[in-house]
Amino acid sequence: MYRNDTVVPYFALVFSAALFLMAYLNNQMRVVHEAGAVPHLTVGNIGLIAFAVVLFTYGFIGLLSNWLEGSELHPGKHQPEPSSLPMVAGVVLSILLVVLSGFFVRSLVFANNPEIGYYNASTLQAGVFGAMMLILAVLIAIYKKFFMEEEILAEDEKGDFPW
Amino acid sequence: MYQWLDDRLAIGKLYAKAFRKAFPVHHSFFLGEITLFSFVTLVLTGIFLTLNYEPSIRPVSGSLSGGQEVPAAYYSILYIDSLPFGAVIRSLHHWAAHIMIAAAFLHMLRIHLTGAYKNPRELNWIVGVFLLVLSIVTAFTGYALPFDNYALTATKIGYEIGAAAPWVGKLLSDILFAGELSPTNTQTIPRLFPIHVLWLPLALIGLIGAHLAIMIKQKHTQPKYAEKVAPGKIVGVPLFPQQAAMMGILFLVYIAVTTFIAGAFLAHPVQAFGPPTANTPPVKPDWYFMWIYGILQIIPANWRFEFLGATFGPQFWGGILVPTIIILGALAIPFLDYSKEKQRYLELPSQHPFRTSFVIGMLMFYIMSTLAGYKVDLGLSNALLWVLVFIVPVITGVVAFVILKAVYGKDWNQEVEVKFIGKGSAADD
Repeated sequence: MYRNDTVVPYFALVFSAALFLMAYLNNQMRVVHEAGAVPHLTVGNIGLIAFAVVLFTYGFIGLLSNWLEGSELHPGKHQPEPSSLPMVAGVVLSILLVVLSGFFVRSLVFANNPEIGYYNASTLQAGVFGAMMLILAVLIAIYKKFFMEEEILAEDEKGDFPW
Repeated sequence: MYQWLDDRLAIGKLYAKAFRKAFPVHHSFFLGEITLFSFVTLVLTGIFLTLNYEPSIRPVSGSLSGGQEVPAAYYSILYIDSLPFGAVIRSLHHWAAHIMIAAAFLHMLRIHLTGAYKNPRELNWIVGVFLLVLSIVTAFTGYALPFDNYALTATKIGYEIGAAAPWVGKLLSDILFAGELSPTNTQTIPRLFPIHVLWLPLALIGLIGAHLAIMIKQKHTQPKYAEKVAPGKIVGVPLFPQQAAMMGILFLVYIAVTTFIAGAFLAHPVQAFGPPTANTPPVKPDWYFMWIYGILQIIPANWRFEFLGATFGPQFWGGILVPTIIILGALAIPFLDYSKEKQRYLELPSQHPFRTSFVIGMLMFYIMSTLAGYKVDLGLSNALLWVLVFIVPVITGVVAFVILKAVYGKDWNQEVEVKFIGKGSAADD
């Protein structure tokens, strides 16, 4: 808590994994698989997974923030150090993003096809869409780390914004 | 183009004033942003759902229900799920609601543990408490909308608690549910729908706007190290482009993770429960109501009396009185732990053992009362649950306090300080 450290984000990731595991292992609240019924999560599992998602996202962005912004800020301007590797990574990820976008649209068209009975592959659609969002996030992170000029401000405590 | 706009709207001044506001950097600040992005996701996915949902229980039939006559609201859920990506968007909406409540809870926990509610931020803490309560109420009003057997039965638990409010219970249920909540009340869904998609979200937008405006005006609390870097100043990155880039990254990561989960676990598949019938399935309320449900489970049924025509029964004690006391207690926190000095920096939880152990005790209370919600499933006795719900949290808090005092106590701090001073003197020499 003293600085933008990695201790709490790491702990959040471990705790998140434990909650996912609890949701998976809990016999009392396990996904209901009744004969002929659509499997569904119980309220207990939903609660555990909701907290696990928050902690995972928090842990992930906490570690990323430490990598991108450092653990302590010191006023001044800091120039980035661009190199070829992030440029290549950016190009590769951009190509991957285009490929996945095409695949995503294809999966939607496939789901709207009467000849195959409008088969809606929801998990696949979500997986591809999620991957696209993650790639976009990584692209912005690479740009911020290697190509964006960093400026740290020391603002006066009394401001006149918004009033 | 920029010059043209600047001449007319003075956007350069806007940039200097608004976009260069300094945002301190600390990982714990992201919990509030996760809550905010959950709300944004709920609005975006909610727009899609609103365009395809029919708020009515008139009987309809079609290929999606296998020719069976079902309520229109239920059928429209089947229709949404059949659309390409429709099931994922509905699932995303459902998961975002759960994640928003979980994130808001953890955000408030962080504020509490670091003392960020103190002078001058008391008002924003109060707005935050109302935001959490309103988020839960909004989620509750959306629960019955799919109008399947499970959702209707689960909503009935909350409905019965609300209806048990002395003197105003009937009025409350009339406002929220347009009368009694039953599979045949044709007015309930048309009443819940605008409350869920319009009035409560508008109230949430108003409160979120106030929360953010107050936060910007009062500035963030900062990590403690900033006191050494630039005393009395706000050390941070400008809103644009640096903070905006981090917010963009977080939003995309949030959407990615939530979409993965929404696709892997399609939330609330209505086909699993079917349309409402006379048979009520064995249900439990959502996890954020489970602790209230747990308290209801352990309060004896004979705790009941009449006063001025109103009945004070177990549903009043467990469902209304206990949550009201906790909400009032939460609202009072900044005034019970009042600070005359302006709170500028995050306090370390280890240096405030009473507050930290109180939070740990309260967490244990929520966990134990949630466990009490599984009283029948786990075959737990009432006596044991009373101990678990009311005694174990107190013991947990006391043990936490003793451990915190022992590990981070005064002597230990002094020892560190002596070493530090010693090193400093050596360097000076």
